[in-house]
Amino acid sequence: MIRPFAALDRRTVIKAGAALGVTQIAAPFVISARGETPIKIGVDNPLTGTYAAPGKNENTGMQLAVDQLNAKNGILGRKVELLIEDSTSGDAGTAVQKARKLIERDNVDFLVGNVNSALAQAMAQVSNEKGILHIVPGGHTDGITGVNCKWNVFRVCNTTRMEANSIVPLLFNTYGKKWHFITPDYAFGHTLYEGCEADLKKLGGTITGNELTPLGVTDFSAYLIKARAANPDVLIVLVQGNDMVNCLKQISQFGIEKQLHVAGTQQELESVEAMPPEARVGIWMFEWYWKQPGTTPGLDQFIADIRKRADGKVPTARTWFGYLTIHAYALACEKAKTIEAKAAAKALADLEMPPEIKMQPNKVYFRGGDHQLMLSAFIGELLHKGDGDPENLFKVNHIIAGDSSAPPVSETGCTMQIPA
Amino acid sequence: MLELTFFNVTNGLIIGAFYALMAIGLSLILNLSGVINFAHGGFLVIGGYLAFTLRPYIGFWGALLVAPFLTAIIGFVVERLLIRRLYGRDPLYSLLLTFGLAFIIEDGTRQIWGANGLPFSVPEALMSPLSTQFFFITGYRMFMVAMVAIVVGVLFVLLRYTRIGVRIRAGTLDLETVAALGVNVRALRSLNFAVGIFLAGLAGVLAAGQIGLEPTMGDSLLMPSFIAIIVGGVGSLTGTLLGGLLIGVASGLTAVVFPSASEAIIYVMMAIVLLVRPRGLLGEEGMMS
Repeated sequence: MIRPFAALDRRTVIKAGAALGVTQIAAPFVISARGETPIKIGVDNPLTGTYAAPGKNENTGMQLAVDQLNAKNGILGRKVELLIEDSTSGDAGTAVQKARKLIERDNVDFLVGNVNSALAQAMAQVSNEKGILHIVPGGHTDGITGVNCKWNVFRVCNTTRMEANSIVPLLFNTYGKKWHFITPDYAFGHTLYEGCEADLKKLGGTITGNELTPLGVTDFSAYLIKARAANPDVLIVLVQGNDMVNCLKQISQFGIEKQLHVAGTQQELESVEAMPPEARVGIWMFEWYWKQPGTTPGLDQFIADIRKRADGKVPTARTWFGYLTIHAYALACEKAKTIEAKAAAKALADLEMPPEIKMQPNKVYFRGGDHQLMLSAFIGELLHKGDGDPENLFKVNHIIAGDSSAPPVSETGCTMQIPA
Repeated sequence: MLELTFFNVTNGLIIGAFYALMAIGLSLILNLSGVINFAHGGFLVIGGYLAFTLRPYIGFWGALLVAPFLTAIIGFVVERLLIRRLYGRDPLYSLLLTFGLAFIIEDGTRQIWGANGLPFSVPEALMSPLSTQFFFITGYRMFMVAMVAIVVGVLFVLLRYTRIGVRIRAGTLDLETVAALGVNVRALRSLNFAVGIFLAGLAGVLAAGQIGLEPTMGDSLLMPSFIAIIVGGVGSLTGTLLGGLLIGVASGLTAVVFPSASEAIIYVMMAIVLLVRPRGLLGEEGMMS
């Protein structure tokens, strides 16, 4: 008698492991190669996995900025070239391996990445060791510009503390003081929760519970059952990405938003577009938004340029992070008159972004003390259906300056050590 | 506390029914062909995205009927072109093939439909909870459980009472003898694979209403389905069904006392089953050797 199975032995498992390993060291995807000695920018961002959408949007913004620079005078008269690697969405080993490859083999002058906070921190160790200027466009955990800050590392997106500070008082005054949290169980979620908790307690609020959910969980019903049983005034959703879509979808199916207020801190257009209309509820904070009250210099052109490159889609905060990252690097090099990392880092510290790059009110600049970008927070409400445009799914009610939401450098834990 | 426990057991059964649907498809393929189909989550994604594409033309109900069939046809073609070539070889070959296929499907989905998730609503009639107190029992979730019950019931009847069903079951136990009796084993395996993928496609359409429709949505559903098979026992479809329901309830009960371990508990269950009864609760002895 035969069985459909044969035994798996140790050798075959090792062979399989080796085969999988080979897939990690493929060649980079060179986007453009012009000029004699181009300035090489290494991008190590997720193109696959759960963060592929934000990763790709950041890369689209970067590519637009590179094309704009190359259409003029490049950087210091040299053309600019993007070398893009897939960091994966959650494998720090691969992200580090790709960062080393970009720096050691491809000799990039500047490193960009990552969407995932943990991967961004791992990459920062490598870039620091190699003395390469590095901008983190979209990894939020506080340590990057806090206790783990480095002379060569700058960050564009908010810290979790800035996010909490920008929106907690408004939620408290609008929705009530008894809060229940659904928090992703990893570094980003923990620091974001701590920020919200501290702000809420300062205002005299109480917490009825905090549901820690594993990353990538598909079913939130058990957590929602507990949350509703606690009877809070407001349910605060801190999970992100696909988890946010799943959670809000299930909240609306259970009708919880009709019994409790549902809100949160960071919200992204990528997530909102993936939700059905009925799940788009509550007050949230966007880190940048394409439809702003009043006139914003450069914004219409930016939207038009991105629409041409992204199948008609509008730019998201991620697209803008990528766009600003490249232009900030170019501005720093032009100011320093060199691409040498230490000089460029020094020039980037406290450098204010011009209107057509910042595309928002308030002063936007990299704070010298911790290398954190002071960017505005866009606070408002989600819309069930697009207002005037299918992608206009958020109504901006307040724009809060980064200066007022960021804690002072002395409270971030950052001690900036600049080498001689 | 008692009410919360009751809520979570009921909720666990609902989730478990969904895991069982995925796991039975996987189990069918594993039992007859010896293929550990890592691309099952990928076929689930294809089912969901096909339903999204078809829905504007034929509505939700039409998409629910058509998308799983189209997914099954894709599965049939994949089996004919790729998987059947590896039947005589070490199972690791088909495992690696389906592992690679899972990446190809994920990236192909991203190329065709975009990296960002897509909105997929459930029909309005199924959208609301059945009562305010039992808010987690929505019309759609009841519908999912009913669908799983009907499909699993029909499948069991087919396997028990039809000629093809009997051959599939016999092939699971002793393929060589079935072949020696003149049964076209190649065609049987192709058909069986397509039925397994049909279930994945159906799970994809049902899941799209419940969770976000995006290229990696199958990943997180695949592992609980494998665990349902291991807990229930390889070689037994009833065991797989039981395994799916058990891990759903265990996960639900853990959520009452220690929510952050509600996912980890299913792995603990798997470890215990492997230690105490390696063939699983209702598994055929020797299937895992």
